[in-house]
Amino acid sequence: MSRRLRLWLLAVGGAGLAALLAAACLDLPGFGGRAHPYGTRAVRASLARHTANTVASVNFDQRAYDTLGEMSILFAAVLGCVVLLRQARDEHRERPRPAEVARPVRRYALLVVPVALVCGLYVIAHGQLSPGGGFQGGVVAATALHLLYLGADYRALERVRPLGTFETVDALSVCAYLVLGLAGVLAATAFLANTLLPYGTFDTLSSGGTVPLLNAAVGIEVASAVVVLLANFLDQAVEIEEGNGG
Amino acid sequence: MHHLLPLLVALPLLGAALLAAAGRRLPRPAVELTGLVVSAATAALALVLLLNSSPPMVEWVGGWVPVGGESVGIEVIGDGPSLGMAALVALLTLAALAYSWRYFDEPPRGHAGSFPALMLVFQGAMCGFALAGDLFNAFVFFELMSVVAYALTGYRIDDPKAVQGALTFGVVNSLGAYAMLTGIGLLYARTGELSMVKIGRGLDSTGGQGGPDALVLAAFALVMTGLLVKAATVPFHFWLPDAHAVAPTPVCMLLSGVMVELGVYGVWRVYGTVFAGPGGIPAADLTRALVTLGVLTSVTGAVMCWYQRHIKRLLAFSTIAHTGLFLIAVGVLTPEGDDGAALYILGHAGVKAALFACTGALLDRFGSVDEHALHGRAGRLRATGVLFALGGLALAGLPPFGTGLGKAVSEEAVGGPLTVVYVAASAVTAGAVLRVAARVFLGLGTPPQDTGAYETSGSREEPETSGLLGRVPDTMTTVPAVLLAAALAVGTVPGFGDLVARSVNEAGSGGARASAEWTPHGVLLGVASTALAVGLAAGAVSRRRRPAVPAWTAPLRRLQSGHVGDYVAWLLVGATVLAALALPGVLGG
Repeated sequence: MSRRLRLWLLAVGGAGLAALLAAACLDLPGFGGRAHPYGTRAVRASLARHTANTVASVNFDQRAYDTLGEMSILFAAVLGCVVLLRQARDEHRERPRPAEVARPVRRYALLVVPVALVCGLYVIAHGQLSPGGGFQGGVVAATALHLLYLGADYRALERVRPLGTFETVDALSVCAYLVLGLAGVLAATAFLANTLLPYGTFDTLSSGGTVPLLNAAVGIEVASAVVVLLANFLDQAVEIEEGNGG
Repeated sequence: MHHLLPLLVALPLLGAALLAAAGRRLPRPAVELTGLVVSAATAALALVLLLNSSPPMVEWVGGWVPVGGESVGIEVIGDGPSLGMAALVALLTLAALAYSWRYFDEPPRGHAGSFPALMLVFQGAMCGFALAGDLFNAFVFFELMSVVAYALTGYRIDDPKAVQGALTFGVVNSLGAYAMLTGIGLLYARTGELSMVKIGRGLDSTGGQGGPDALVLAAFALVMTGLLVKAATVPFHFWLPDAHAVAPTPVCMLLSGVMVELGVYGVWRVYGTVFAGPGGIPAADLTRALVTLGVLTSVTGAVMCWYQRHIKRLLAFSTIAHTGLFLIAVGVLTPEGDDGAALYILGHAGVKAALFACTGALLDRFGSVDEHALHGRAGRLRATGVLFALGGLALAGLPPFGTGLGKAVSEEAVGGPLTVVYVAASAVTAGAVLRVAARVFLGLGTPPQDTGAYETSGSREEPETSGLLGRVPDTMTTVPAVLLAAALAVGTVPGFGDLVARSVNEAGSGGARASAEWTPHGVLLGVASTALAVGLAAGAVSRRRRPAVPAWTAPLRRLQSGHVGDYVAWLLVGATVLAALALPGVLGG
């Protein structure tokens, strides 16, 4: 198709869709209304199970089955990435050369690594109490490790992230989430039912029944998944070179 | 019993996670055996649940059973169609895993478990989508199956075409997913619900007086765009041939056999539960939209199928043609149409997977899937040849194959001039397959001279095994044989058609009952299609000189350009067309 024709098609399709969406938006409920049928129900259910952060209650209790799907998407993305970014037949590996890092950068990065790591773990651990949780904290913790790449060099990063271990941990945390779900079936309630553990005291670390456990499983999964994903892309950029090398 | 429904998703995912964790330490046979056992166990569970699915089961995951009609949880539906699709998914995955037994030359170093693990996640995702009774949950599993499918399509990274096909697949399907998510957002804004049943009721109560408005129309067009992209309907279909031509054969078996059909199933489920009420889209508009797109899809698929020489692409276009037929049957909104589509999908899954399996054997034996280059070379693969030809006949709807029964029941349901589309599309696609069988396995007709014109030939392909095979392994002939036998059983086991019809109608169709049995009329049309297919193939083979591809197909062929930008432009046009086709009901209401 010629460029001109493609642009025409795009314009026609885009204009039609835009008109449709604009018309639909005029029919949306007004901004700032008071009626939130789902929100009201979700808050009530979350308080009934002593989970201070309603979002965590929706993610890991009321709609924990959706979270299983989302977690599996990340897990599948890691599996897919490992498969697609593997070393092709016409590529070879080259050891990266040690790099010079400006001293202030190095000092700052090494200072921030532990702080960022603790931050990430804190956000995971307090997922059921305050904004944040496994998904967000996992990403923070994983990126914290990569400050080493900025502060030192690629080899230093490789030393602190044994990829095989991270891949195994990633898979095992998916297993943990599923096993927690299956426990509900074995106890003759329902898959992913949050009825096995006591709900605890409201607004404490151990409140919410299985919510903190599922949250932790997701946190560990996300952290190791992001490490593996970034590692595969970095490998592609830093170590894997075209040509057979010889 | 209903507590076990989510296990159809959880078991394959658990198997995949275990394989990913332990795959590097296990020997290869143990890895592949684990994959087979997990998928067989899920298939058995799906069948047991299917036998207990009358009356339909509903499971609230997490035990969030509605209190006073309200729930914050997610519902999973265990009725005939959903469990039937789940069982089909599980059985077909089992077949694909058995087919790929010791198949790929070298699994990625240190990741021996990744191929079976990805296949199991794919299985879990498709089961999850089939069982979903919650629109957002359906979207989550839609995304999961897309992500896995991209990775599986691009599995053979040494071939740049694989990466290109997977990328196109990824871009087009992700856009479809965004469209679907936007539609779900609109529906949620209107009703405050995510469960399909509750959204449907919400639309009826809020829009009941004035009928549907622009918001409902937009939501309908966007959600359907997502599902129709998956179902490879014209003009959303361009990704499918590009992806099928490059995906590993076992993956093609799943993509063509069941994933694309899940799109049609999604259309049926979502329309019937969400948009069928007085606040939704009127039946006449849905019929207009689906039948128009279905006919376009069948015709395009059939024409393009006939003019392919790359066998995998040929089969891919035949899948497009058949999806169009399923869509027409679902679109007429009668109980008979639903029954016909269900039976047709079951039969087609076995036949199409078997045809891909035979093509895979050719690829690994000769390193080519080009009809011209393979001319007369596969004469010694007698078993594969017989199976391939039988598959072609079954594709035409030869009684008593399941495809024939499904086609007959669908034809009865759509009636009139649409019957011609059924006969023509199935005859042309089957004719193309039979032509390939005659040339490749029997060496009939004149050997081709290369005209030098540029086209996707399919020669010089990489085999998927370590080097070319000296002989075709038993698994690669047993699996297609079993699949064809299953497709035959769909049409021959007494009472099976009625059983499917009963469970489909119990779940939808407003409780109306229809029977699905062979009728003289159906048998006659099936035989007619088959005769036409054989005639077309014989005509093509017996020509002294190969006729050039006629000029009128050139614009159609040029549309399949491989340029992602083109496909995206068509996707936008398609969404607009879909909305325009359903517009009269909104204006009139």
